[in-house]
Parts: sequence; C-alpha cells; structure tokens
Amino acid sequence: MNKRLLTLWVLLLVGILIAACGGGGSTTPEPTAAPEMTEAATAVEEATTEPVATEPAGEASGDVIQLQLMGWASSDAENTRLQEMIDNFNSANSDVQAQLLLVPDYDTKLQTSLAGGAPPDVFYIDSFKLPDFVAANAIAPIGDELENVDDFYPNLRDAFTLDGTLYCPPKDFSTLALEYNKDMFDAAGLDYPTADWTWDDLRNAAEALTDSDNGVYGMVLSADMARWIAFLYQAGGTVTNADSTSMTLDSPEAKEAMDFYVGLVQDGYAAQPADLDSGWPGEAFGKQKAAMAMEGNWIIPFLQDQFPDVNFDVVELPAGPGGKATMSFTVCYGVPANAAHHDASVRLVNFLTGSEGMKAWTDLGLAMPTRASLRDTWLEKFPNLEPFLNGAEYSHPWQFQPGFQDVLDTVNSGLQEAFTGLTTTDQVLQNAQEVGTEVLNR
Amino acid sequence: MTVATGIRGEDRQNAVAGWLFMTPTILIFSVFVIIPIIAAVYFSMTDWNGISPPAEATFIGLDNYKTILTQPGIRQTDFFTALKNTTYFALGVVPMQTIISLLLAVVVNQSLLRFKSFFRTTYYFPSITSSVAISLMFLFFYQKSGLVNQILSTLTFGAWEPIAWMADPRGLIHIALSWFGLTIQTAPDFLTQTSLFGVPLWSWISGPSVALTGIMIMNTWTTIGTMMIIFLAALQDIPNFVYEAAQIDGASAWSQFRRITLPMLRPTMFFVVTLGLIGTYQVFDQIYVMSSGGPAKTTLTIAYLVYRNGFNNSQMGLGAAIAILLFIIIFALTMIQRRITGSEAAV
Repeated sequence: MNKRLLTLWVLLLVGILIAACGGGGSTTPEPTAAPEMTEAATAVEEATTEPVATEPAGEASGDVIQLQLMGWASSDAENTRLQEMIDNFNSANSDVQAQLLLVPDYDTKLQTSLAGGAPPDVFYIDSFKLPDFVAANAIAPIGDELENVDDFYPNLRDAFTLDGTLYCPPKDFSTLALEYNKDMFDAAGLDYPTADWTWDDLRNAAEALTDSDNGVYGMVLSADMARWIAFLYQAGGTVTNADSTSMTLDSPEAKEAMDFYVGLVQDGYAAQPADLDSGWPGEAFGKQKAAMAMEGNWIIPFLQDQFPDVNFDVVELPAGPGGKATMSFTVCYGVPANAAHHDASVRLVNFLTGSEGMKAWTDLGLAMPTRASLRDTWLEKFPNLEPFLNGAEYSHPWQFQPGFQDVLDTVNSGLQEAFTGLTTTDQVLQNAQEVGTEVLNR
Repeated sequence: MTVATGIRGEDRQNAVAGWLFMTPTILIFSVFVIIPIIAAVYFSMTDWNGISPPAEATFIGLDNYKTILTQPGIRQTDFFTALKNTTYFALGVVPMQTIISLLLAVVVNQSLLRFKSFFRTTYYFPSITSSVAISLMFLFFYQKSGLVNQILSTLTFGAWEPIAWMADPRGLIHIALSWFGLTIQTAPDFLTQTSLFGVPLWSWISGPSVALTGIMIMNTWTTIGTMMIIFLAALQDIPNFVYEAAQIDGASAWSQFRRITLPMLRPTMFFVVTLGLIGTYQVFDQIYVMSSGGPAKTTLTIAYLVYRNGFNNSQMGLGAAIAILLFIIIFALTMIQRRITGSEAAV
C-alpha cells in the first residue's frame, strides 16, 4: 500500500478519535466543560479552583470532593447571591468544593444527565416534576438527614412528600395573590380589594373596571390550569380524591369554578394576555391594560424593573364558596439516587436550606423563606409581600400524580377553547376527567 | 488486503484508498446517524421514561405503537391531532412555497431585470437567518396591535377586526363554515359525535387554526429563498437554444413557460416538493419558540409531540415510537409523490 496514504489515514483517524473523546469526559468538572456554562458558572469555576490551589500541594487535591449544583438562572441579584453562598460553603468546608452551574434549557439537560448516569450532585426539582422523578427512582429521599424539618411549612413539605416520604427540602416558594392597580381603582371610584373579598366582589370590581372600548379590562386571565385550580380549591373542589385513586373534576364545585373563571372572560370582564398585546399576565398588568392580575411574587421584581410607574398593591386572593385557597409553587434541592458523594451533597443542601442559609438566600426579598421561624424577621423587612407569605398557611401544592402533564395540557387547551366559545365548560371538565382517569389507571 | 479481489492491481489500490478516505465519514455517520436510528427503533419498543438509565427500560414489543394507533385515549388523540395539524401545515406550505419560489426564480432569472443580484440576495436572506430570531420577530408582528393586523386594517379601510393571531384556536374551515351558519352547536350529530382515531370528524375538518396559519405564512417566507436558488440553478441549466427555437416557431412567452420551462424543471420540481414535504412534516423549532403547541393544541405537530413526550411527559419510548411513525409517514409520502411526478424525474 501507498505509504503516504496510510500515514494520512492514520492521522485522520487519530484526529477524529481525539475530537470525539474531547466532548465526552464532561462528568468531572474540568475546564473542557466550560462551553456549556453560563457566565456565572464560569465565574464560579475560577472562584472554586482558587482555594484548592492555595492548599498545600500533595494530599489535599486527591481528597477534596468536587460537587456540582445545577439549576436554572433567575435574576442577576439571585444568581450572585447563590454564588456567594456557594463560596461561603467552600471556604467553610475544606474537604468539599461545590461548583454552581446555571444552565439554559434546564429540564432537558437534567433529564439527559440523569439518563446518562452522571447527574449533578445537587439539582433543582420543581414540585410538579417530582412524581416523575420518584417514579423513575431517580432521586434519593434525604428528608431524614435534613436540619429541623418541622420548621418547613407543612404545605411545602407536602409538595415534596410522596407516600409519606419527604424527598427534598423546599428551597423557596411562591404563592398566587391578587395584584391590583391602585390608580385604576381610584379612577373607577372603587374601594381597594381586601383579604376578605369574595368571588362576587372580584366579579363586580372586574365589571366596573372594564372599559373594553379603550382595550382596558378588569382582569387578565390566562388559559392555564395553574391559575384556574386556585378557583377550584376556593370552590371547595379537588382534582383527585384524597388518596389519588380517582378523579374528582366531575364535581359540582369544579363546574362552579370553571363557570366562574370562563365566565369572567366570556362576559368581557377579563381578557387573555394575548388579547392585551402581552406574553403573560404580568406584562398586561404592567401595561395597565388590566386592573387586576393573579400572579405570584415573581411579578414584583418584574414590575419594578419593567414598569416602575405602575402604582399597584397586593392582596390575598378572594375566598370562594369553599373558603380561602391559593397555589404554592416550590422548588427543592434534590440529591440523585446512587449519588457519588451522598453525605457531602446533603451537607451542601443543609447549608443552603438551614436557618442561616435560608435567611441569606431570602434576604433579597425576591424568594420567600420556607421556614416558619423566619417569617417574622422577613416580614419586618418586606411588609408589602405579606399577602404572598400568608398564602403559605392555606395554599395547595402544585403537584399531582406521575404523568399528569396530559391532564394539565387537556385543561389548558380546554380553557382556551372555552374562552373562545369553541367548547363548553362541561365538555372541558368531562375531557379532563376522562384523561385524568386514564392517567391514574396507567 | 482482500477488499477488492478480482480487480486489477492499480484499481484495487484505488478502491482501498477510496474506502480508507471514507472511513472517517463512515465512522461519524455511524456514531451520529446509524446508531441513533437503531437506538430509536429499539427504544420505541420499550417503556423507557427518559429519566432512568436506558438499560433499566423494559422491552414491551409493539405496545407503544398499539397505544398510539389503536387504543382510544389521550395518546391516540394527541397523535392524530398532531397528524391532522401537520398535514394541514404541509398542504398549505408546500404548494405555496413551490409556486412562489418558482415565480421568484423566473423573475430574478430575467436578463432584463436590473439589480438582479440585489433581489436574489434579498429573497435568500430569510433562509440564512436564525429561525428562532425570525420566530420572535413574527411573534411581535402577530400581536393584536401588531404589524400584520395594522396592514390588514389599512388595506380593508378599517373593516378588519384585529385578532391575536397566536392565541386564536379557530380553524380556517370552521370560520368559513360559520359564515353559512354551521358551528359546533348547529353541526349535524354525525360530525360532532363520530370520532375517527380519537378525534371527532368536526375537528378533522377544522382546517389549520389561525395560529397555525400564522406559522405557515412565516415558514413559507423563510423557505422560499432556498427553493428559489434551486429553481434558479435549474432554470440556468435549460439551454438557450430551446427557447430560441421556440421563438422562431412563434411561441408566446406563456407557452414557452408552460411547454418548455415547466417540463424541463420537472426533476427539480420533484426535488423541491420532496424537500418541502420533509421539512414541513418535521416542523419543530418555530412551534417550540412561538406557540409550544397551543392554543388548544392546534399547533401541536408530530415533531413537537415527540419532544413533549420525551421531555415533558417522561415517555421517551412513546416519543421514539412517534418519531418512527413520522419517518414512515414521510417515506410513504415521498414514494407516493415520486409515483405522481413520474419515475423518470427521480433525482
């Protein structure tokens, strides 16, 4: 064979092998993994490598456990704060060095890393996703290893408890409350909403505030089960029975809640974000095209940042025929099953969600503390957020059985059709009931 | 080496060299294409949830396919809703993009046209722009007070009622039927009560929703550039003497186009329509950015359903089965299309 050809071939092959292998070994935190990290994460890397380098060369480098904490990016202030906390953890623990990875397209990335058998050591888990992860045996229950578990609000503990087992601690939470535009209430000559409002008060105010000729509505509502469900609970209804064996969306309470929610839109007192030139309700509220919105505390920094001129306040959601209810959305720090460094990972989780860590994390007034013992000091600092925090007492967790995404999709799409008059509320509930029954029987 | 026995020495050496040079490509192709395809076929026959390691998945034979195709339930309904949406998408986009890109190619091929290269570049531009960027831009255009509504309002002297395009689940055929008083309330029972594959007949004949139509228009706009370039290359391949001969025989411009250009473009036409069919049946990115399958699942396409099942519903096995079905659908359509266009047109 031609010698030159052979050399060329070998070179090509070697080149490809090198290129192929270079992308592979990203399970160990090496600089090669950098392209996938956000700026914040890259900064972490620089920070974390420092202490290691300063230690006496020799024994240390082999014994130091490297941890990865993976999450999604939120506001700059929160990202920076979390990084500071990780830095503090690293300086307090010479044998463990944690690294923060804030990644885009989080769900996909987490799922593939779990399936690939090399998950991060600690990662965010949304309460809605938890049942799927538990069903897949993907996460370790660390409830017994947590500090002062009873201090967490019971509702939030429930969000991460399945079949009596607490899987992971809530890192923070959000609840739904009613945001209202003070100027628009003043202009309409209405009293501001109060915490003891009822559905009728809400509906009457929405009617009075609507000026559809000028494209202004009393309220902005989206075709979203995550909002409608608050009315379902307020009506005294539920999605499933207590032990989650059968669906209960065929109840008169569900019908009442659905009629009320859809009725607000059908009667023209509320509009969807898209009809108000907005991507989500918060934007429509900020543009002052709707006098009331029903969002979580994430709307506050958004409004302060994007619409600083809006004169608004927050009040707890009105009570329905079945009493007060709201939704809580919460995320926990999970540790994977078969974790490489289980104890060190739990130590990091305890550091972040212990009383001190929780205080440091929630001190910005953006995330709310999940520990009841921090309530008073936190409220002293952020009194205007009290309606959100109060929700912790009577909120329902945003969590169902594995596979409930199908039910969620069915309700969302049904609400959308009902808003447009393409279907009836009875039909929406019937479909959701059927799909839910199918999911529960899988 | 015994790879090429029975061939003369020099040829054999060339053959060996050829294979050697192809080795890298074959390796890359295997790792990134062939192995994933085999894996997808395998996973489509498992109950893999996409979270646990794939080795833990149980082999369940054709159960996923049965669930999708024959078992009444939300998974069957979702698949056939997606099939319906995607088919409306293809039926709208493929003819539109083929006709418009052919017209554009003919226009920019005119020797008399000035600023020819300017127009060629302009028409091609959307094809090389990131589809995510274009999708975000169109989201603004399709807002209730957005550009599209404003233009339509101006053109109709204010008669056009602004709509929020991307939030409108009404089907175009349903809207047309409603002008004749036929709505879901007045439609005969056999339309609303009878279901085919979990989707009521009334929904099958919905037509593309307003939201899907918006995406169809955008998709046409972004793809005609590429199709135009292909047509342009083919047009310039048609020898001039054919036209000259026709002109001497007194053929008009129209009959030259109909009797010379179109027949000569037939292989290209097959190619463009095939590309169009494959592209439309696989549409994903614009859906992901603009609508996430909403409003009311009217922009749920097959490719997007694959993603939803794999990453939102923890049913990777089911998603893989849908992906395989999508492949079969595209393959069948291409074969049918090839039959219609004529086998001599095969590229």
